[in-house]
Amino acid sequence: MNKLLLKLAMLPAAVYRNMGADIPQLTALLEVKLMQDDRKPMTFGRARKQKKDQKNGVWLNVFLSLVTGVVYLMPLIAMKNLVFSLWAFYTLFLFMLSFLLITDFSNVLIDTRDKTILLPRPVNDQTLFLSRILHIFIYLFRLLLPMSLPGWVFLSMAYGWKAGFFFVIPLLLMVSIALFAVNGFYLLLLKLAKPERFKEVINYFQIAVSVLLFASYYLLPRVMNSAAVAGMTQEQFPWIRYFPSYWLASCWTWVFPGTGMAGSGWLSILAVVFPLGCIYATVKWLAPQFARNLGGLDAVELHTAKIKKQNREGFYKKLAYLVNKNDEARAGFMLAWLQTSRSRSFKMKVYPSFAYVPIYFAYLLFNRDQSGSDVWHMMVQKKFHLVLIYMSSFSMIQALNYLSISDQYKASWIYRALPVETPGKIMGGAFKAIWLKFYLPFFVAISVFILAIWGVPAISDLVLGLMNVTLFSLILMLMGSRTLPFSTVEQLSNSAGRTLRVFGAFFIIGLFGFGHYMAVKFWMLKPLFLVLSGIALWLVWDSYSKSDWNAVKRAEDEA
Amino acid sequence: MEPIITIRNLSKKYGDKTVLNNINLELFPGQIIGYIGPNGAGKSTTVKILTGIIDDYAGEVIVAGKELRAHVLEIKRMIGYVPELAELYDLLTPREYLSFVGRLYHLPEALIAERSQKMMDSFGLGSNMDQRMDSFSKGMRQKVLLISGLLHNPSIVILDEPLSGLDANAVIMVKELLQVLKQEGKTIFYCSHMMDVVEKVSDRIMLIDKGNIIANGTIAALRADTNDSLEQIFAKLTATDDLQDRADAIATVLQNKDNG
Repeated sequence: MNKLLLKLAMLPAAVYRNMGADIPQLTALLEVKLMQDDRKPMTFGRARKQKKDQKNGVWLNVFLSLVTGVVYLMPLIAMKNLVFSLWAFYTLFLFMLSFLLITDFSNVLIDTRDKTILLPRPVNDQTLFLSRILHIFIYLFRLLLPMSLPGWVFLSMAYGWKAGFFFVIPLLLMVSIALFAVNGFYLLLLKLAKPERFKEVINYFQIAVSVLLFASYYLLPRVMNSAAVAGMTQEQFPWIRYFPSYWLASCWTWVFPGTGMAGSGWLSILAVVFPLGCIYATVKWLAPQFARNLGGLDAVELHTAKIKKQNREGFYKKLAYLVNKNDEARAGFMLAWLQTSRSRSFKMKVYPSFAYVPIYFAYLLFNRDQSGSDVWHMMVQKKFHLVLIYMSSFSMIQALNYLSISDQYKASWIYRALPVETPGKIMGGAFKAIWLKFYLPFFVAISVFILAIWGVPAISDLVLGLMNVTLFSLILMLMGSRTLPFSTVEQLSNSAGRTLRVFGAFFIIGLFGFGHYMAVKFWMLKPLFLVLSGIALWLVWDSYSKSDWNAVKRAEDEA
Repeated sequence: MEPIITIRNLSKKYGDKTVLNNINLELFPGQIIGYIGPNGAGKSTTVKILTGIIDDYAGEVIVAGKELRAHVLEIKRMIGYVPELAELYDLLTPREYLSFVGRLYHLPEALIAERSQKMMDSFGLGSNMDQRMDSFSKGMRQKVLLISGLLHNPSIVILDEPLSGLDANAVIMVKELLQVLKQEGKTIFYCSHMMDVVEKVSDRIMLIDKGNIIANGTIAALRADTNDSLEQIFAKLTATDDLQDRADAIATVLQNKDNG
């Protein structure tokens, strides 16, 4: 696929040469960039095995893009008016394309190794600039083709060959708008954010996008099924005419007249003029300026970046002394506290899970085509708060799971070099840090919501739930994750044994949840379960915090 | 003899901080120049300017009679650079990476393949040609980096800590290689903190501190009438206090802790 795309991209080689590019160098640069794209780990936690050559990597991406394309079909299916449904389709597409460019591609665009590897070589600015732009185009094309395929097929079937033929034109115009938006976003960020914060901001943006993706996969089909959406018309929302996505949709009035709002003809002209202006602005100003600003990123970073002052330095240390009895546990607590604040990959994998819980809860609630008041009654009467309490364990599991994983896992030699007799103490300290830093605040937020809806009687459920989730998390650690903090590499953890353990874990949490549900039905069971859970918690904690080196070694071997 | 590199009034600032302060240097062909200085003295900035990575500097840099900024591509073709950090596209194999680098210098594929294989063999990495470099040790990466810097047979070689992570045999081999390259008339600009190596391989030493060249000459000239090693000369010229006192202070801290 790469070879084909490269050939296509290099078709106007004469034009590139006229622009001052060195064609053999440009080809070499693109080949290497594409090769690296195929081998780089994917975002959103989908890490690829690093040692194996991933020939299927491209096709996996194609498949995932295809699935995303199916989600975009929803407005086309649900809405009656062609232009209006296409407005929703292009809006979704444009947003997702821009977001993916920013998130999935930011590491490629901001590959600071380029500075050391490419800048000392005899490669001129035009060649570097074109390689960057063509690389983005090829990347977009690889995303766009499978993503747009479902829409293409649907529109061709629903509106005939004319639609199938015309589909490509607004899509290409959309790509230039996305490119402009992304370059503009980066430049704005480079202007507004301090260089040392640049990557951090991108990181948070990636987290937001992964949440958005998750939400759209789960909630969009629910919303689009609703009868209210089907009845919507573009005349009810006249403001959509100010969106480029509506201008793109208006182009369809050229082949299907009368489907747009009044003035759609003029808007469709904008759909052509605006993207052409975007291309010009991107090539002329945005991209070169972006490259220049990016070039300066490292130098500024090196000389002006300072370690952010830890305003709450005293707080985590005080907490470490407050909740831990020995120095090993305090060390584990502090390490986990600090590393989880600074590790980019930890944030990427764990932070979105806090948003997944409410999203999935909403997904479960809006399972049927019910009115808001029906859903409300069902939620209150059917004790849905228990579902929310036990679903919150997902965030805890995710945080604990990534507590042991690090890109710098080799740095864990330190544990073995130190005179630590019981590694369980370090692990226990790290567990407490995760529990206090991530789970407790999240649980408090959930509790506020639950108390607001279910009232004071839910307090006992919250207490039992908190104990059970903590117990369950500890059992999970005991079963297979008796590893030291940040001491394993991610790919090692993706083993079959781990999958089995995850299934086992879900069985256990299901069991706990069922027991709790029974305790709600028969009130006398609740105090009993509270006592039993407390005893079990104490026993499991004791075993976990006393884990010896043999247990750690076994867990590492099994991982 | 005409200098191959002439640096006149070179200055560079990062914000308010002056990193290079009006530097003047002349480097001649067939010489190994040891460029030394404490951390943050301005060594890497000088190297980045010479290699064309940084172009917003004040002053003039002339390489082989050509002004750097006006002829940057031509000059880059003459230079082979081995950076301090082993930055590589490590998802590639050495074969793929070296082929990529060679193509940027417009070398024929056959020549790239031949040179890459022979140099990799010489460094004992012949069997790792098709292995992805993300699994390589620091030393292995450093060897690939060295090969990539020499692949196009440059007339000026700029090395920033080239022996970092190399095993003893590879160190000996690189030192020998430097002598051979020197005899071929190449100019070698050698930055390092390893004073014993710099002392042994360099024809001339340049010492930079706080952005100023504070010593420039042969090792014999720097020694004057003393018997000091380069390490001792370096310490005398750059240390703000007595290093022995500092070492004592550290030991005292440890003793106090134990007693406390």
